[in-house]
Amino acid sequence: MIRKSTLILLAIILFGCTEQSGIFTPEPEGSVTKFSDDTHGTYASTYEPLPSEETVIRNATVFDGNGNKFQNYDVHFANGEIKEVGRDLIVGDITEIDGTGKFVTPGIIDNHSHMGVYPAPGVRTSSDGNEATSPVTAEVWAEHSVWVQDPQYKLALAGGITTFHVLPGSANLFGGRGVTLKNISANTVPEMKFPGAPHSLKMACGENPKRVYSSRGPSTRMGNVAGYRKAWIGAENHRERLERDPSHRDLQNETLVGVLDGEILVHNHCYRADEMATMINIGEEFGYKVSTFHHGVEAYKVADLLADEGVCAALWADWWGFKHEAYDMTIANIAIVDQAREGTGCAIVHSDSASGIQRLNQEAAKALAAGRKAGFDITEGRAMTWITKNPAKSLGILDQTGTLEQGKDADIVIWSGNPFSVYTKAEKVFIDGALAFDKATNFMPYTDFDIGVKEWEDK
Amino acid sequence: MKYIKYLLLLSFLVAADADDMIVIKNGNVFVDGEGFVKKDILVDEGKILLVEDMIGNVGASTIINAQGKYVMPGLIVFSQLGLLEIGALSETNDSSSDIYNAGFDPTSAYNPFSQAVRLNRSKGVTSTVHVPGASGYFRGLLGYTKINDGYKQKKQGPLGLVTRYGQSRNDSRAAELMFMEDLFALVRGRADEKKSYESDNIQFFFGTNNEYKFTKRDFDAISKVLNKEIPLVVEVNKATDILNVIKFGQTQNIDLVLWGAHEAHMVADEIARSGISVVLDPLDNIPGSFDSLNATYENVTRLDDAGVEMAFYYSQGAGSHNAYLAHQSAGNAVAMGLDYNKAIRAITSNPASIFGLVDVGSVAPGYDADLALWDGDPLELMSNVETVLIDGKVEDLSNRYEELTKRYTEDRDKPNSYRSR
Repeated sequence: MIRKSTLILLAIILFGCTEQSGIFTPEPEGSVTKFSDDTHGTYASTYEPLPSEETVIRNATVFDGNGNKFQNYDVHFANGEIKEVGRDLIVGDITEIDGTGKFVTPGIIDNHSHMGVYPAPGVRTSSDGNEATSPVTAEVWAEHSVWVQDPQYKLALAGGITTFHVLPGSANLFGGRGVTLKNISANTVPEMKFPGAPHSLKMACGENPKRVYSSRGPSTRMGNVAGYRKAWIGAENHRERLERDPSHRDLQNETLVGVLDGEILVHNHCYRADEMATMINIGEEFGYKVSTFHHGVEAYKVADLLADEGVCAALWADWWGFKHEAYDMTIANIAIVDQAREGTGCAIVHSDSASGIQRLNQEAAKALAAGRKAGFDITEGRAMTWITKNPAKSLGILDQTGTLEQGKDADIVIWSGNPFSVYTKAEKVFIDGALAFDKATNFMPYTDFDIGVKEWEDK
Repeated sequence: MKYIKYLLLLSFLVAADADDMIVIKNGNVFVDGEGFVKKDILVDEGKILLVEDMIGNVGASTIINAQGKYVMPGLIVFSQLGLLEIGALSETNDSSSDIYNAGFDPTSAYNPFSQAVRLNRSKGVTSTVHVPGASGYFRGLLGYTKINDGYKQKKQGPLGLVTRYGQSRNDSRAAELMFMEDLFALVRGRADEKKSYESDNIQFFFGTNNEYKFTKRDFDAISKVLNKEIPLVVEVNKATDILNVIKFGQTQNIDLVLWGAHEAHMVADEIARSGISVVLDPLDNIPGSFDSLNATYENVTRLDDAGVEMAFYYSQGAGSHNAYLAHQSAGNAVAMGLDYNKAIRAITSNPASIFGLVDVGSVAPGYDADLALWDGDPLELMSNVETVLIDGKVEDLSNRYEELTKRYTEDRDKPNSYRSR
């Protein structure tokens, strides 16, 4: 009897979910989902853009982040928003930047970073990325570990990064909530939080959890899967209890129910193709969808499945070999995922590295070259979506950033040349229309950590 | 012109069999001191015989048309290629040892059929300096091998004795220096007294928990440094530590090479004055430790301004498996302001000159024909390697990554396991 009633309840929950949640219904072409940020509570963003001037960039080569590359284009932005992208724009008496010979792209977005939770210098006392005390720690939030004085943010900014997603580590089956930050130095975390960005939930497959918990379990991949399912059943029970007792608090289950309610996006560390398929099955069982698989070195093996399910894959261009689950690599991984099902795949270049985040454009270039070598006809404009539009989509912020479109945040990078060249540098970075980095004048933020500690400053 | 004809004639006489010769025609060839220039290359019996503006018909069996291509020496990388298959699996890792430290030479463990070797060869690497990772006081001896296909590789070495200095151990860095002084005095003293290690069957233990063990083999390696047969290669980052290491080298009268060297730029003049070379990754700009607070992209240009000779490796993710990305590090060094030709040399001829490697790292007569043909600028991210020669042999560039790519892009109507292999 109990079993039967549970099944009925499950069916109701699944159905309820399908009804209410934006991420479960296929999006009409061109539409952008607006996600709820209701899960943030008193920890909500207090971000304020830096002061900005109305500006037009003239006569540049523009990647719009939507797959296009335009020659001799202008980009006009005011009050933190993009006004217009086009040729010979007519504007008032505003700041003009000559973009001749320069390239303009949307601000680069890294959807897998541990800056702030694994800051520099890398010392034990500020190593705050893995709450490796239990396989299920959905209750922890990365934003409560982030160190705002991490000197790595500005290095990423010099590489054109305007938005990054900070995740807990991968020791646990459920590592906790991730947070999306604007790359603006501030003295509190809420001041860095991307306004309106949904929370994420970090999950991890494979070797890491089973290694970390080998003595107490899970110690196998099947143990991992049982662990996920048990936790989701717990979340269902919690949600059932909330109907009777709406004031009941349970931190762990609040995160998991947030996923079931479609308010929190699942970001799933998962290398192996077969495990990704299993994780999709678990999502089906409990009525949630994986937003993005991260590190999927074998994503190319299930590229069609990922495209069919509308799941993004955030990948390295060429990392491999450090673990057995990272052995079957191809540098064409990103291209194969991108090109699956007539080019409907969602491929993302991510870093997972405070070094790699400084050169995501270079990582995209290597992935593009490998894709072309594998026989795909992929344009530079398309490859640019891997580090702009697609990560924005994956993080639920595509309605605000990720492409150069009217009304979106003026998150913009001016490059010295083609961003797919090793010799190209980001020259100017704008976040919400405000200049945040300028190579020519050495204008960049300095965290308190940078003050006085260093004998030498970059110039 | 006469000289060329003479050489050509000579080449015919010397060549055991003209049929085995290879001519690489019309390529942009990287020549030390000149950069990329239009040249033809004649290869015979594994060696570069001629590098000239025009090489006519010499009856070579193979003519490689390199029109529009870039021909450069194969990359010499610093790695655990062939010593390490999968990072997290210690059973596939032969780059480290607990038994030996200074005397640990991983060369004999080299696996020429490692997937990492194949990948790197296909990406223009022709040889590697083996970087040892022993767990004891010293990391071990640097080895060197070609990475050609097959069972036989030309090897050189040992090239140096690797140790580290700074915050890497628990004791004070002052005590670390004292220990090095005492250890070297001990080895020197035994040599002076002509004490035999064999008869002693000697083992020394040091450290709070006797964690540092030295055997005869380890002392022999240290003797090589004391006799200036090989340099002491010191992983060190902090500027003040670098000064201490330089002073230690002078007091001990030994040769030094600095490794890592994140803060080397702050003491660049002292390094240059001491004639010490530096092996580093130009991309190391993160203040990742309290020894590296002043890490900067400008390390390379500032060292170059002071006149320091450098070799580059790549260490930004996936480690040895992607050692070939030294070309990306070099490209970024150019973006930071380093002269282009110097950047190329930092991944070809400089590793050879710094470690005394014989006949490798340059495209010049008499050198081993270790060459890579690129379809574009070899420092660019989107350029591809088309042909690789090691010891004059055109290498097989197939590798697992290309095969997996094929399997998942071609024959897609068949079930996975029955696709191309």
